[in-house]
Amino acid sequence: MAEEDAELVALIDNELDESRKNALLARLAADARLRERYDELRTAGAPIAASLQELLGQAPLDRLRAAIPADRPSRQPPSRFAGAGLRQLAAGIAIGLLAAGAAAWIAISAGLIGDRDGWREAVAEYTDLYTNETFSSQNPDAALQAVELDAVGARVGAKLTPENIALPGLRFTAAFMLAYEGSPLGVIAYVDPSGAPVLLCILAHGAADAPLQSERRDDLSLAWWSSGGRSHLVIGRIPDERAVALAQTIKKQI
Amino acid sequence: MSEESRREVRAGLEPSLARLWRYALVLSRSRDVADDLVQATCLRAIERADQFVPGTRVDRWLLAILRSIWLNEIRSRRVREGGGFVDAEDVLTSDGAREIEMNITAAAVLRAIGQLPEAQRETVLLVYGEGYSYAEAASALAIPIGTVMSRLAAARAALAKLK
Repeated sequence: MAEEDAELVALIDNELDESRKNALLARLAADARLRERYDELRTAGAPIAASLQELLGQAPLDRLRAAIPADRPSRQPPSRFAGAGLRQLAAGIAIGLLAAGAAAWIAISAGLIGDRDGWREAVAEYTDLYTNETFSSQNPDAALQAVELDAVGARVGAKLTPENIALPGLRFTAAFMLAYEGSPLGVIAYVDPSGAPVLLCILAHGAADAPLQSERRDDLSLAWWSSGGRSHLVIGRIPDERAVALAQTIKKQI
Repeated sequence: MSEESRREVRAGLEPSLARLWRYALVLSRSRDVADDLVQATCLRAIERADQFVPGTRVDRWLLAILRSIWLNEIRSRRVREGGGFVDAEDVLTSDGAREIEMNITAAAVLRAIGQLPEAQRETVLLVYGEGYSYAEAASALAIPIGTVMSRLAAARAALAKLK
């Protein structure tokens, strides 16, 4: 009986090879009791994946983020623009972790970039760290999406929902908080069908309104604008015109 | 390679936290232990980032580290100390003080999963929660595929009895 159940469950999970599958299907066609058991096992297992998905929403993310250890500080300040030095710097920027009350913030190295637009450079440097694998396995359900977006929206003073951050051709994967020179920096991460990350970053730093602009930094395209005291940036390894189009879309929605 | 390895591990930690915590909770059936286990996993991953092969799945590498710490350090220590585990079968649906708000079906299913033996809970989590194929689960758990099959069948059979 147990062996029979195992075969039936493997059939349900589409894990039988062709010959075993065909043999079992033939038995099912001829055996009503076996069909009944197949239905029982299929029905019993159907809600497992969705139920496990609900557990993800309970994860104490703020506390867990605070547990990610900071890297050891580099002994020598690396050159800002040199190859290996830049990578080292980017790693240092992206990973210095501070626990701050209920929230854990990744602190982007302060003082590196003095000008007001320097946050784009900082974002470009840590975006360079992300690979096609970083976010592609994340697939939060609608409830978890809403929770994450609500939390990030509360920090940057914007109403963010799965609907108003939806972008054509991109799948939402995660929303989390960073900080830039003490200002909250919300990050909404998407992936395109190839898994390549595209980020929407929202920095609440009291910026004056500014129209949509774009630029290219190495292989990254950036499109940004400011409104309501917040600067918004779309960034990814995508064509320039795609970044601008995505920025125009999201600008209308949020 | 080590520079790239460290970079990928660093970048992969944050997006994997919720899934690491879920695995830790399903294994340990204790919210306190789950937090500790995730913290230990993050530390170990950074210490051993050089061993990560760039371009492979960092999330699964992290899950494997978590499992190893659970089996070799946390669970074994508790058993050795004679305390065993004061685990709660309803930990997946309650934080100890109150029932967690969730869909009624999900709550019933999670309660039933919480009552399964550890080996079944873990196999269910990897295959139905993390999307491992039977072969991938067998490899991750170092067991034959037939054992993956029988664990999943036993889990589904237990759930079927709820009806």
